[in-house]
Amino acid sequence: MFNFKHEWVETNIGLLLVLTMLAISIGGLVEIAPLFFIKDTVEKVDGVRPYTPLELRGRDIFQREGCYLCHSQMIRPFRDEALRYGHYSLAAESQYDHPFQWGSKRTGPDLARVGKKYSNEWHVAHLVSPRSMVPQSVMPNYPWLLSTELDISDITDRMKALRLVGVPYSLNQDEYDANVKKFGKETADMLNIADARKNLIAQAQQGNYDGDRSSISEMDALVAYLQVLGTMVDFRKYDDDEFVKYR
Amino acid sequence: MEWLNWFAAFENTKPLALVILFVTFVLIVYYVFGSRKRGERLESYKNIPFLDDESETKEDKK
Amino acid sequence: MAATMVSGTEQYNFEIVKKFSIMAVVWGLVGMSVGVYIASELAWPIMNMDIPYITFGRLRPVHTSAVIFGFGGSALFATSYYIVQRTCQARLISDGMAIFTFWGWQAAIALGGISYMLGYTQSREYAEMEWPIDILIEVVWVTYLALFVGTVMRRKQPHIYVANWFFLSFILATALLHTFNNLAVPISLFSMKSYSLFSGTQDAMTQWWYGHNAVGFFLTAAFLGMMYYFVPKQAGRPIFSYRLSIVHFWALSFLYMWVGAHHLHWTALPDWTSTLAATFSIMLLLPSWGGMINGIMTLSGAWDKLRTDPIMRFLIVALSFYGMSTFEGPLMALKDVNALSHYTDWTVGHVHSGALGWVAMVSFGSLYHMIPKLWNTKIWSQKLIEIHFWFATIGVLLYITAMWISGITQGLMWRAFDQFGNLQYSFVESVAAMHPFYAMRAIGGMFFVTGMSMMFINVMMTIRQGKREAAKLHAASHGKMADMASA
Repeated sequence: MFNFKHEWVETNIGLLLVLTMLAISIGGLVEIAPLFFIKDTVEKVDGVRPYTPLELRGRDIFQREGCYLCHSQMIRPFRDEALRYGHYSLAAESQYDHPFQWGSKRTGPDLARVGKKYSNEWHVAHLVSPRSMVPQSVMPNYPWLLSTELDISDITDRMKALRLVGVPYSLNQDEYDANVKKFGKETADMLNIADARKNLIAQAQQGNYDGDRSSISEMDALVAYLQVLGTMVDFRKYDDDEFVKYR
Repeated sequence: MEWLNWFAAFENTKPLALVILFVTFVLIVYYVFGSRKRGERLESYKNIPFLDDESETKEDKK
Repeated sequence: MAATMVSGTEQYNFEIVKKFSIMAVVWGLVGMSVGVYIASELAWPIMNMDIPYITFGRLRPVHTSAVIFGFGGSALFATSYYIVQRTCQARLISDGMAIFTFWGWQAAIALGGISYMLGYTQSREYAEMEWPIDILIEVVWVTYLALFVGTVMRRKQPHIYVANWFFLSFILATALLHTFNNLAVPISLFSMKSYSLFSGTQDAMTQWWYGHNAVGFFLTAAFLGMMYYFVPKQAGRPIFSYRLSIVHFWALSFLYMWVGAHHLHWTALPDWTSTLAATFSIMLLLPSWGGMINGIMTLSGAWDKLRTDPIMRFLIVALSFYGMSTFEGPLMALKDVNALSHYTDWTVGHVHSGALGWVAMVSFGSLYHMIPKLWNTKIWSQKLIEIHFWFATIGVLLYITAMWISGITQGLMWRAFDQFGNLQYSFVESVAAMHPFYAMRAIGGMFFVTGMSMMFINVMMTIRQGKREAAKLHAASHGKMADMASA
């Protein structure tokens, strides 16, 4: 006869501890662990690449200012969201996002596909003073982005840390070659850690995001990041229902 | 760790979750409410918060 | 006389409970005031004042950390140390460990708040603290676990009272969640900045497994532990059904961990995960309501206490809000409802009906019960508790009503089509429509903070009164001894 007594549990803190641990572990284990092993969790899709050094710094600023608290980056598969924001977001599109920026609240609109929808000038004016562009907006002004010079001293440290967690920034020839194969030479060059500072400066100069070529401001980085959001995948290349099977 | 994929299929997970949950639940409920003697023992524990009251009883009279 | 008093104070470590109780009230006042400020920023954006440190984005985690971990956490440390000692009739095993958890915890919250304002954040909701602070919390938490378990092992009778089970479950779950959700690689040993170990979908799932269980274990299981002690004590009668509390415990501990993915319905998370989460969310209704009924029915036969005792009213109204928000939660976890409610203020309202209605009110009741006992006196003003209760209740109701209206309005405006099949409203039209409700929410918050300030005054005056009485007693007994010596 099975002779288990709950009384043991009630009177033995060790047993209570173990069984409670068991009860609270199962849910997470079953729901989270498979996500790392099921290949379909993240779709195979062309075009998604890690951020360039400048975009990466822009993303850091996006995090620093807490933008994710009012802006989601996750479009859901509904008709109204398709009209308002574009194609629904794919898991693949945030595969290099450490951490993810899906958000949970839309006090402002979703930003998953905001890239290239507005001009650089619009973004700069809007970030400095949102109500000058959108009178009813409740977004704070971010004038300091324009006046603060971008700190690029630790850009290689940042890329190395991301490389450690799995983002394919290259540190050696082998990794570089793999990137050339996967993303093409132009992108692979951008992902090379040794050239990070040079690439960052070049992109800021060339993109001239904040309208001032004389220095690189935080605004340059943030606008570069906003302008790439959701633009990596070319949805014209895929059938309408291509991605449904991954859901 | 491939075996974890098994959990990702609905046809596996749903009945499994149901069975585990239900059996455990029934066992606990049976244990707790199944026997009168055990029930009385368990209910006696509800007085534990009042066991160390001697020191307060005087000042507790409102 | 003097001898028995000494042994009375030596029996338990109440010093640590006092410290945490005071800090709970202080963080409550700070965190809720910040909450009112950021609510006002959303209604009147000029309040951001172009100062980086106080913009909504940087202050919001200050608010959440100060109320969840500062106020809620300190209240939990205080009550768990109080309850574990009194129900085990054993002193905490180590005063040093206890005081370490106090200073470690307070430092973590203060450093967290300062670092957010300076722009250091992991951008994981409710886990924004960067890696050095996370390590500090980890050390504090392991100490807490050891201290708690060690004290339970010293208990006088074989059975462990159920409140302690809930606290144990909360400590274990929080350790698990904190550890896995904060896995990150710092960019260098001398930098606050780190990048999370996981990315995209897996990272989102890990974060919301954390995020929802912070609610489930930090803000629910632990406060249920509080409920299982203070409701019976304040009512002067034992819990309605001890057996129900056992079923409640196992069902709640098991089910909660499955439901986090309901925060990610309709996202790029695979469908199987979110369906599983929705299913478990519905099942969770049963233990939640089991616990609520167990608490409320404790009062059966003594309902008149609700009229006469404002502390009892805090506790019972807290349980009612708990019942309401644990009904609303599963409803919002249904995919079709979630399609409307997600990303809107409805979620914010739901959280606050739980946080203000349940967590804060049950803490107020417990602290009002406990603080006079700790300082060995009576509450300074019973009347002020009464007024606090009404301010708190009106505040919560204003808050959640505003958020219901604004949330559902937002959801409906976003998905409205005109007769030609185009979107009827631009996004900013929905923003403009929110203004009156954001103002109303801020006013609700002001009511709640006003109540909180009353509590602050009441607690400070009670402590002063307790100290004065103790001093008088001390002087009297000394005087008597001097008399005896001279005689």
